[in-house]
Amino acid sequence: MTPQRPIARFLMTVALWTFVFFLAFPLVWLVLTSLKPSAEIMRSGAQFWPETFTLENFRNAILQERILQTAFNTFRVAVASSLLTLAIATPAAYVLARRPGGVNKPVVGWILLSQTFPVILIIVPLFTILARAGLGNTHLGLVLVYTVWSLPFVLWMLRGYIRNVPVEIEHAAAMDGANHFQILTRVLIPLILPGLVATGLYGFINAWNEFFFALVLLKSPELQTIQVNLARFRGVEGLARWGPLAAGSVLATIPTLILFGFLQKGLVSGLHSGGVKG
Amino acid sequence: MPSIRLPHALGVLFVLSALFVGAAQAQAPVQLRFVSLAWQPQAIEAAQSVVADWNAQNPDVQVEFQQVDWGSIHDYLVTSFETRSVPDVFHYESSAILDFGARGYLTELSSILSDDLRSDVVPGAWESVTDADGNVWGVPFLWESLIVLYNRDLFEEAGVEAPTIDDPWTWDEMRAAAAELTRDTDGDGQIDQYGAAFGLRSPVNRILNLAVGFGGDFFYRRDDGSWEVRVGDAEREILTIITEMMFEEATASPDGVGLSGPELFPGFFEGRYAMLPGIGVWARQQIVENAPEGFHWGVLPPLVAETQEQGSATQTLSISAASTNQEEALAFMEFFLNSQNMATLAQGDWLFPTRASSFDLPEFQTEEAGWDVATESARHLRLAAFQRVPNFAEFRSRVATPILQELFAGRITVDQAAERLEQEGTSTINR
Repeated sequence: MTPQRPIARFLMTVALWTFVFFLAFPLVWLVLTSLKPSAEIMRSGAQFWPETFTLENFRNAILQERILQTAFNTFRVAVASSLLTLAIATPAAYVLARRPGGVNKPVVGWILLSQTFPVILIIVPLFTILARAGLGNTHLGLVLVYTVWSLPFVLWMLRGYIRNVPVEIEHAAAMDGANHFQILTRVLIPLILPGLVATGLYGFINAWNEFFFALVLLKSPELQTIQVNLARFRGVEGLARWGPLAAGSVLATIPTLILFGFLQKGLVSGLHSGGVKG
Repeated sequence: MPSIRLPHALGVLFVLSALFVGAAQAQAPVQLRFVSLAWQPQAIEAAQSVVADWNAQNPDVQVEFQQVDWGSIHDYLVTSFETRSVPDVFHYESSAILDFGARGYLTELSSILSDDLRSDVVPGAWESVTDADGNVWGVPFLWESLIVLYNRDLFEEAGVEAPTIDDPWTWDEMRAAAAELTRDTDGDGQIDQYGAAFGLRSPVNRILNLAVGFGGDFFYRRDDGSWEVRVGDAEREILTIITEMMFEEATASPDGVGLSGPELFPGFFEGRYAMLPGIGVWARQQIVENAPEGFHWGVLPPLVAETQEQGSATQTLSISAASTNQEEALAFMEFFLNSQNMATLAQGDWLFPTRASSFDLPEFQTEEAGWDVATESARHLRLAAFQRVPNFAEFRSRVATPILQELFAGRITVDQAAERLEQEGTSTINR
């Protein structure tokens, strides 16, 4: 071992911890703010550690502001939309990856083009269609919107993952008598599982963080999602109810953190396995 | 014989279902949706309690309370109007509803409001929701003035006596007091305590409203009906006062450039600024709730320019033109804004009611939390010209805000700002 190595390792460790600190700091700040009484939050000087710890903000967020109910609504919509997105995107991506030619090129072009439409351009027609279908003010309507919204990107990513899987594996399965459905479900899906996890999480996070569609589509307070609920803590001229907002934001972060914790392995390998290969 | 019985059974089932559905529809109450912008717990509680009272008294017309935030309300309403999925009654502000009315989104109210409401709401407030053709697009129910908050202890230490309602300060007297209150408390050559701080992050409405006292309207109508931005001597006064206090006299803190009024509170509580001029009257609630124990504060009467007048927008209730329950929506609105309810709502929001009968209630005349002095400022409110100007939202965000921010950051002079406001502003509002 050369004498430089321990130094290099030490520097790398320092760089890594700096990076982790940089990433984690806003979250730590958020948690600590949620534990401060409102008068302390308003004090200048940006004190890091609370002088007085309080759970009052969490109590307000949970009991008065229905954060848990809106979090549950959002979770339901986000899970349903990401699963539906994957269910539609996986076979479609398979066809686009394995059957080049024909209409595939225009379809791929359309997928890319559809990413460029601004939300404001489609919101009115989309809303009108949903209202006519009786899906306004329903979670199902919102699930469909999020599915359509995430679908192009997920489809594009999955196409890359599938193209990365050697086609010979499928040929071998076919030789053993597997049909297309069996090849897809028993051979391909296990191989692209990391990609499914990564794109599923993308769909989930998209839905979890989305605000405007949820605001416009859902009218009944009991259907509200968490982002719309958190926006109610903001007032005018930069004023907000910072304590309950911080507590609500902490609670809103927990499901995503848990999901990342569970799916971390799959996500990391998914991100490494060729999603950008078009 | 199932082949014969089945159609009979289906027929009976159909008739029964139709009867059941018909009966259910006959009994179903009318559902109204009311969108509120209340966001402070007190204000939400006040609005919800009025809605609950209505629902208890009117089982045939039930109101659903929906809360939307100030940051999203405009996009929310425009989308709702375009898709015709509208709230029956909604809460917003006068400057926006005139535009909505012109686009046909709202029910015109002048002929359908009760005499009680029409005569009791003060004329200045009605002016804010009435267009040039006399159409009334909403009922003004809350309004806001700009006040001066001050730190009593710092005034006492500096020997500065606060003015009274009967003998208010002029702007020059406020400047002189700010100079006395500006101090280097630790002798390190740096100012630690400024006489004043102006929240200038979103300065446009504040500047336009304060300019009214100097006789500055900024927007003037030409003979051909188009509008023009003019920044003459009257309009320049307020811009000059603020920039001179910040850059020449150093009596106003530069902190205010990037902060809104309420964001100056931490410094106000710690004694870094002795006065916060031009802050919304609702901001008192933040002091009551968040000031450290032993913090002594007060409200100064409106400063005298040429007059004590200020421009003001009102918060309003309107009925969507696409609402299918117009009659019920109107009845609910009249109930929501009766004298007692309006007072409750105004107190919840720390604003002023627009009904003369609510305005004179003892709760708005008490010395507690500066209500008496703050209420005095409401007597000098009038409609500012900018409220009637087309494309004002675009003027504010794309023209006036960046120009004023450059001015208050010391990057351009008042003359340069005036020239740009006139040129860029006039073309924007006539676009």
